[in-house]
Amino acid sequence: MRIALADDSALFRSGLVLLLQASGAKVTAEASSGDELIACLFPAGPAAADGPVDQERPDAVILDLRMPPTYTGEGISTAAAIRARDPDVGILVLSTFAEASHASQLMEAVGSGVGYLLKDTVTDAGNLISQLERIMAGETVLDPSVVRRLLARKRSAGKIETLNPRERDVLARMAEGRSNVGIAQDLFLSPRTVEAHVTSVFGKLGLGQTDTDNNRIRAVLAYLRSADDQD
Amino acid sequence: MLAQRRDHALKHLVARHEPDTLRPPADARGGPRPLRFYLRAGVILIALGSLDTVAQLPLWRQAPTLATVNLIMSLAFIVTGLMLRRERGQRGVAWALILAGVFRSLDFIDAWNTGPWPVYAVVFGGIDRVFGAYAVLRYPRPSLGRPQRIYLAVLTGWMLVTRSLVVVTSTATSAGYPASSWWPTITADPRLSGIFVIMEDAGDAVFGLVVVFFLVRRLTETKGLDRIVMAPVIVAGLAAVAAASATAVAQIFSNISKGPTDAFLAEGLVDFLLPLAFLVAVVQRALLARNLTGLSARVAARADLYGVRYALRETLHDPTLEVLDVSGATARASRGARSPDGPARELPTAPLPADALPSARPDRRLVEVIRTDAGAPIAVVIADAALERYRGLFDAAVRTSALALRNAQLQAEAARAELDSVRASRARIVEAALGERRRLERDLHDGAQQHLLGLAARLTAAMTRTRDPDATAAFGHVRAELGEVLAELRDLAHGIHPQTLVQSGLAAALEEIAERLPLAIQLNVAPYRVPPTVEAAAYFTACEALANAVKHARATRVRVVVRVTASHLEMEIADDGVGGADPSGKGLAHLLDRISAADGEAAIDSPPGRGTTIRARIPCG
Repeated sequence: MRIALADDSALFRSGLVLLLQASGAKVTAEASSGDELIACLFPAGPAAADGPVDQERPDAVILDLRMPPTYTGEGISTAAAIRARDPDVGILVLSTFAEASHASQLMEAVGSGVGYLLKDTVTDAGNLISQLERIMAGETVLDPSVVRRLLARKRSAGKIETLNPRERDVLARMAEGRSNVGIAQDLFLSPRTVEAHVTSVFGKLGLGQTDTDNNRIRAVLAYLRSADDQD
Repeated sequence: MLAQRRDHALKHLVARHEPDTLRPPADARGGPRPLRFYLRAGVILIALGSLDTVAQLPLWRQAPTLATVNLIMSLAFIVTGLMLRRERGQRGVAWALILAGVFRSLDFIDAWNTGPWPVYAVVFGGIDRVFGAYAVLRYPRPSLGRPQRIYLAVLTGWMLVTRSLVVVTSTATSAGYPASSWWPTITADPRLSGIFVIMEDAGDAVFGLVVVFFLVRRLTETKGLDRIVMAPVIVAGLAAVAAASATAVAQIFSNISKGPTDAFLAEGLVDFLLPLAFLVAVVQRALLARNLTGLSARVAARADLYGVRYALRETLHDPTLEVLDVSGATARASRGARSPDGPARELPTAPLPADALPSARPDRRLVEVIRTDAGAPIAVVIADAALERYRGLFDAAVRTSALALRNAQLQAEAARAELDSVRASRARIVEAALGERRRLERDLHDGAQQHLLGLAARLTAAMTRTRDPDATAAFGHVRAELGEVLAELRDLAHGIHPQTLVQSGLAAALEEIAERLPLAIQLNVAPYRVPPTVEAAAYFTACEALANAVKHARATRVRVVVRVTASHLEMEIADDGVGGADPSGKGLAHLLDRISAADGEAAIDSPPGRGTTIRARIPCG
């Protein structure tokens, strides 16, 4: 397993590198910021047109959520930039504090093959590696603390039944991490119509009327739960 | 005449549209009297006093009391006239009083009993009354009304004609004078003479009644300052008429040759009231200025437009007086173009309200503009045009009010500036506190948290490499404790300043709190971003309110509503707990402090048993 990572804390980075190596992974690139990592993975110039060199190409990147220059949500924008250049690489964003809205933004920006975990995961090597594997397999991984909180608050499963087929289509694509615009293109609808469907989905799931990030992720969770129930 | 006065008043109205209309104070008339004035007055007094003494020289022996009263009377009129000369627009009245005094002294010139003096006394003996009537009827107006002028002309004519007719139809002896005195008899006819005497007396009676009518009418018609000033004069005038009538009656029934000395004496004493009344009026007018002391105290006590209006109405005795606010109009007009050296040229463009002009004749109102030192109008004073006669008092009153209004404005500005600076400094403090929190959180995040996480990673790495069960168990122990420390540190950092608030705003941050509390929390939060200090104030307030709901109120449900308007963030947090919260308690007091530190306002409604509702409003414009 080839891993590239970016974190502005050298202490944490070196610990993580040690941990990954001890777990049998190979760290191909290390950077202290998202931009640095991108520059490292996708060097500018004509040779870069074909994408990263195969041996150096990571299977997954691990990104810190808060990085220079603003220490706010650089992890998410970096994830989006990497995904845009390499659609197959798995992306794991680590954060000291799990925030549902960030998880949702990440899903919106990257789609599938993405994970959002607490940095505390580094206390469990096995778990970290298995989550990375799931991400590389195209799954979406959310920190249990995020899921637990959202589920504790709203139990929306069952209400899925009240959705009409179109709304269910929209919700399924939301669960795949599509943005409203992406869903619109997929279903040959106008973005405005998609928005209306999204609002309607939220309404029927009892999530409030506006398209806040948390509502989006809750709706997806409700969908995933209902899918589990049916299996 | 009327047209001229209207022009005058119009000039005042029009003058509002020029910047420099606050005319120079009319101090010239109110100032100390110069020495020259006293010298001239003394000379005139001595001259006229001597004239009087000489004119009634024989009377000093025949009836010393009457002569004394006459002299004092004449001098009193003259003194009053001299004093009145200094009053604005009262020169005519002053001269009338002086002439009344002079002619009064000549009334008893017949005591010489020789030459033409007895004839003079009979024919011109009532002229002093004409001047007295003129003074009484005119004062304190600048001119005499038309009916009054006609009246005086007819009175003079009637008196001179009938008295002349009496003289030419009688002889000196029949009139009670020595035969030696000059007497222009045309035909000595006692019957005819008697008829003319009756005509003369009847005329006196009629003219007396007409004066009474005029005076009573004026007394009822005048109002305000005029009334205060005029009342003594009118009353004295009425008394003088009554005395004259009494004398006339006494003359009819007394022995003509002896002359009704007592009646003359009594009339003289009553007539003395007249100059006295004028003096009282003059003093009264001077005393009006004393009202200004009270005015300045009152406008200082309440220097707003209502206070000033009320004080001016009382002081100037004009219930129709209005003080209109024009500061707003100018502020609007000159906003953005305010320069200290160029005062706003445009004056209040807002039309005056109709009820400010009860007479519906704006040309009859007195208008004065009160301005700031820079020349910007603050207020307009609109008063009864009658106050034009008290221009000095009016101007002084307006100046006093203007001073108070200007001071009040300056104080208000100073207070506003102070408040602004306090607000600004408080905002800086809040900002600094917020910055400090952020810095702390970031220090924790970048420092201790990353350090510990790095250690945890190394520890985990080490664990994967060892096969020793004892070492693995020990590592596991340390790792578990490290996990607890990390969780605590995370909560601490988050409590100091939640990243969610910074990045996703109030709605997300409150949802996060709601998810962690064991309460049914209904959130209805406007998804708008507001300045960080406002978000932080609202967030921490909500946190404290929610903590209260859990800890003290034993609530099961809470509703949080946050609205964002153009200027404010409004928050309402209502729980279904036990209520009865004490706003001075530590938690709630802290909450209220937080809101007021953000320049907001908050209210706590917590009736026992009916839940607690906290409402806060924080400016965010």
